[in-house]
Amino acid sequence: MVKYSKIEFLVACASRHVRNDEAVFGGTGMPLLAALLAKETHAPRINLISEAGFIDARPREVPLSVADSRYYYGCSASIGLIETLGFILQGGRIDVGFLGSAQIDEYGNINTTYIGPFDNPKVKLPGSGGGNDIASSAKRLIVMMTHDKRKFVKELDYMTSPGHLQGPGSRKKWSLVGNGPDVVITDMCQMDFDPDTLKIRLMTVHPGFEIQDILDNVMFEIVVPDDVPTTEEPTQEQIDIMHKLDPHGIYLGKGG
Amino acid sequence: MVPDGSELFWGGFGYQRAPIAFAHELVRQNKRRLNIQTCGSEVDLEIMCGAGVADKFEIAFTAIEALGLSNNARRRVTEGKLQIEDYSNLAMAMRFLGGALNVPFMPIRSLMGTDMVKHARFKGDKKLKVIDCPFTNEKICLVPSVQPDFSIVHVQRVDQQGNAQIDGIVGEDVEGSRCGKKLIVLAEELIDGDEIRKRPDQTKIPALYVDRIVILPFIAHPMQCHDYYDYDLEHLQMFHKLTRAEEMWQEYLDNYILGVDDHWGYLEKIGWENLHKLRARKPWGY
Repeated sequence: MVKYSKIEFLVACASRHVRNDEAVFGGTGMPLLAALLAKETHAPRINLISEAGFIDARPREVPLSVADSRYYYGCSASIGLIETLGFILQGGRIDVGFLGSAQIDEYGNINTTYIGPFDNPKVKLPGSGGGNDIASSAKRLIVMMTHDKRKFVKELDYMTSPGHLQGPGSRKKWSLVGNGPDVVITDMCQMDFDPDTLKIRLMTVHPGFEIQDILDNVMFEIVVPDDVPTTEEPTQEQIDIMHKLDPHGIYLGKGG
Repeated sequence: MVPDGSELFWGGFGYQRAPIAFAHELVRQNKRRLNIQTCGSEVDLEIMCGAGVADKFEIAFTAIEALGLSNNARRRVTEGKLQIEDYSNLAMAMRFLGGALNVPFMPIRSLMGTDMVKHARFKGDKKLKVIDCPFTNEKICLVPSVQPDFSIVHVQRVDQQGNAQIDGIVGEDVEGSRCGKKLIVLAEELIDGDEIRKRPDQTKIPALYVDRIVILPFIAHPMQCHDYYDYDLEHLQMFHKLTRAEEMWQEYLDNYILGVDDHWGYLEKIGWENLHKLRARKPWGY
């Protein structure tokens, strides 16, 4: 049996959602590892783009920043932000974007800005960065986060980036370029969206967890279909490649 | 030359070409009430809000990316000493482009439907507007252009005329360098005009935009400068750790910024041997 950590499971799981030949916004952290893993395995022709300006990047070590020079060596073009977020992303040319989230609601709307009330915030989080742009304009959005009941809220403290907003028709109302979140992946389960209501729906549960565990760990009502399979486990090959990409365990952790 | 209360476009992006030496000097000169406008800056924003130099940010992002949250900004926001007007990266880049083009606003397809539209701080109803496009009737978001008092941009090389060359990515520095009323270029190296003319495609900022030039090595330390030096991960981790508590941050501030006379003093403190270890290697550029 393959041994894996929660983070390794998350990364392997997310990488399967990237298809060959897609244009992917990489970012940093777990999403970047997932995209690089996809490129090393089933999707060698993805075009990995960093919002700082790197296009078709093939970093030999994991970058710590979207602007890290590690993104430069081997990339096909090194330009700037209007190019990537403007011409490429807003131009409708990005297939997949990845985002993390501190809070998410039942329509997949995302908060990465404040915990607590706007007028008297308890915690200032990083903010949008390119997140709102990516959530607005990428054709598909993959959300990756660690599972914590307090993160799956009925009402966000602040909506930084659009998921499906208030449900069917609302992205269209604001003429958003992209189609919104496709899947939410945590260390307990994978969720997609009910096509009729655009509300979060349980998709697969990771080995070791039951459906009830998920229901107990979200603060809204989650749609549960009749058939909820167990999530596919990572392969040893996937785990080995991940560690080759992140030899110092910056994202995977030292123990992994 | 930067008066209290000025608005500054702040160059660099993420870990790349951050004008850290300029932030240090603003602190040493005890500047106050600055409004910093940028997409995503990290250690420099932490220094400026931590030392009380800036009390307003118009930004999209602040954190140390892979290392974690911006502790100083987080504390200053909670204390009410820092107001952050939140935009997205594209929104800020377009605000600089609008300022550079000398038009009052730019349209974007981001922000709509979210709290970025609903909530504003010091910009009030001047933060942005969502309108029906007069041509297509679609909803479109207008963000106000900015023409700050100064643009501060860090580049690799410059000649005596001010022609400035940037290696690697430009981030939002092409627009940012042209939007300010005065442009201060900080460069790692002064090179001959003939050298510039051998590689004119690398000149991202022609001399006609430039008002002042400062030449210093390791301007971005502990961040990186493509083709010149890598980030100083050890120092960066120490910096991030020390910002976790106010007393520890004050210690860093006294030790590395206020406790030295100038940038040369700071570099002495870091140690030339350490700095030379960060020198970029070919062909990787870091």
